[in-house]
Amino acid sequence: MRTGVVAVALALLVLAPLRSARAQFSFDARRYGMGGVSLSRDGNVRRYNPAYRAVKNKNHVAGTPKFSIPVPIGLVDFFKDHPINQLGHDPMFSPESSAFNPVALLDIVFNPPIFYEVKKAPMPTNDVSFTVGRNQLIIDLGASKVLIPEQEFGLGTTSRLLDLGVGFAGFHVGVMGFLQYDVGFTLDSTLRSFLVRDSTARPNTNYFANIDGTVQAGFAPTVSFASRVTRGAGGGETDDGLYLGGAVHYYMGATYGRGIGPAGFTTGPAPVLGSTPAPLLNGDLFTSNKPFGRGVGGDVGIVWITGPFEVGAGVNDIGAQLTWSHSKIQHFVYDNAGDSIASIVVSPDTSIKTKLPITYVGNAALHMGTGTTVGGDVVNSGRGTVIHVGVEQRTGPFAIRGGVSRDQRKKMQFGFGGGLRLGPIGLDVGFFTHSNSLSTQRAITMATAISIY
Amino acid sequence: MKALPAALLVFVAACGQGNVILNVDVLSFLTASDSTTQYNVIGGLPPVDSTISRRFLLPPGLGKSTVDSVSASFSSQLENLTGGGRVTLEVFFAKSQGGLFIGTPYLSDSSGHVTGVQTVPMGTNSLRLADSVFTTDSLWVGIRARITTDVGPNMSGQLRLTDLRLRVVLQDKIL
Repeated sequence: MRTGVVAVALALLVLAPLRSARAQFSFDARRYGMGGVSLSRDGNVRRYNPAYRAVKNKNHVAGTPKFSIPVPIGLVDFFKDHPINQLGHDPMFSPESSAFNPVALLDIVFNPPIFYEVKKAPMPTNDVSFTVGRNQLIIDLGASKVLIPEQEFGLGTTSRLLDLGVGFAGFHVGVMGFLQYDVGFTLDSTLRSFLVRDSTARPNTNYFANIDGTVQAGFAPTVSFASRVTRGAGGGETDDGLYLGGAVHYYMGATYGRGIGPAGFTTGPAPVLGSTPAPLLNGDLFTSNKPFGRGVGGDVGIVWITGPFEVGAGVNDIGAQLTWSHSKIQHFVYDNAGDSIASIVVSPDTSIKTKLPITYVGNAALHMGTGTTVGGDVVNSGRGTVIHVGVEQRTGPFAIRGGVSRDQRKKMQFGFGGGLRLGPIGLDVGFFTHSNSLSTQRAITMATAISIY
Repeated sequence: MKALPAALLVFVAACGQGNVILNVDVLSFLTASDSTTQYNVIGGLPPVDSTISRRFLLPPGLGKSTVDSVSASFSSQLENLTGGGRVTLEVFFAKSQGGLFIGTPYLSDSSGHVTGVQTVPMGTNSLRLADSVFTTDSLWVGIRARITTDVGPNMSGQLRLTDLRLRVVLQDKIL
């Protein structure tokens, strides 16, 4: 079972770049080299701003390739350490193994091993000590204390994994795939104090983290319309003008799940270690019994292009509320008597409504001539604002790139890279820093791709 | 019982290549009567043993860990009042009560020969490597006082255990 899940996940990661459009998670080495910004009018920007569908000259930016094929060097390294035919027995994925490390596993989720990790984010390597006595239990995490988040720690985004369709006379009819997830962990103040302040555990006390995770995915038949409402000074031969666009989605959810509740442990009566602390789990699980959670939502977008400058803004998933008519609600609680997790079906078949968070996207680019292009974008998909600013300088067959960004955790990140074009084929390399790992320090990843012009 | 170690592990596993160290105040798990042994033994008899054994709990999840080293130490005070002889204090650890007092003790120290009113401090420490006894979240400690008397009046007094500690260093995580 685990092998299958891992294999499918890795296969999706490998195949994802072959899709006609990309989500915010990108495999574009050029983009990474510019701090995450996309300077081209590619599928990414059209998917989040329907007004871009009316901009005919999508490859206006000089040197923009038709598409890029990522070179997943990181996967080679990953499969060297974790042979694919032995994933079922791989200690990393087996909780029964002494080598199982959920932190490392979580690190892979946060930071998929597609590209080569030039510098791994160092984990704190200090010792962790427990002081154990009849009336005391103290944990000293040492330098690892910095990993204990003060506020909610979470990740989430809405991605549009698929965008297929045809267009005519300003209209576009197609199908969009969507994936939305949001996972948040909040340490209860008692647990945080116990872990950070070297205070002893108290008897008859709950120590827990509140967990709230949601994932929903499906596809949405879409009708959109975009048009150039005014022509700019450049006239009809150029892209100059003001563009407006809108799209209506009929969401057809394939699957949905949400888990919410505390997880931790409860100490017994004094002395605190007079009895084994009891696991604490008391949560609810909401799952869809059948696919096709249904709902309607829409996008709007605007683009203004004048000469070398363009700016756009889009708002997605407005009013997107899905109704899952056949859902199950279960309550999970840890049964100390049976030393097992007991589940109670609260409602075997009920209706649940979910929302897709509204995503805001803004972008701007300035083509300065002499091969220089600068640009930036701002994205907020429900978990903080991400900002990218980047620049590309092309000289003959060479290109150099650089950029900065602010990630969801409000940390500054940096990117640089270059490219070499030889006729219809080019090779691009981008280095970028990220804080996707459970570490206070940045990692550096090298993204590589072959571009087809 | 995997939930609790998993909950602890979320935080503890972040120590990367560092060690997990358990500093255990074993004495705190003993009652006052456990830590003080009164003796009054007829002189000239073969050695007499006085033993106590107690179970104590460690943080759950130690069963799959690898023990790098275990250091143990104790200190005590022999307060002899009458008679003469010697007292040897031995400390054992085992996963079960039945496993106590078998083989070589973890800690052992002798008072040497004492006679009449005399107070003698006792104590020692030891270091063992890769001892699988400590890969558990429930441990038994056994303390044996072996009293060997001289021919003559009864040997009486008390032996007070003033400190008993364990320091267990685990090579890897606790799950």
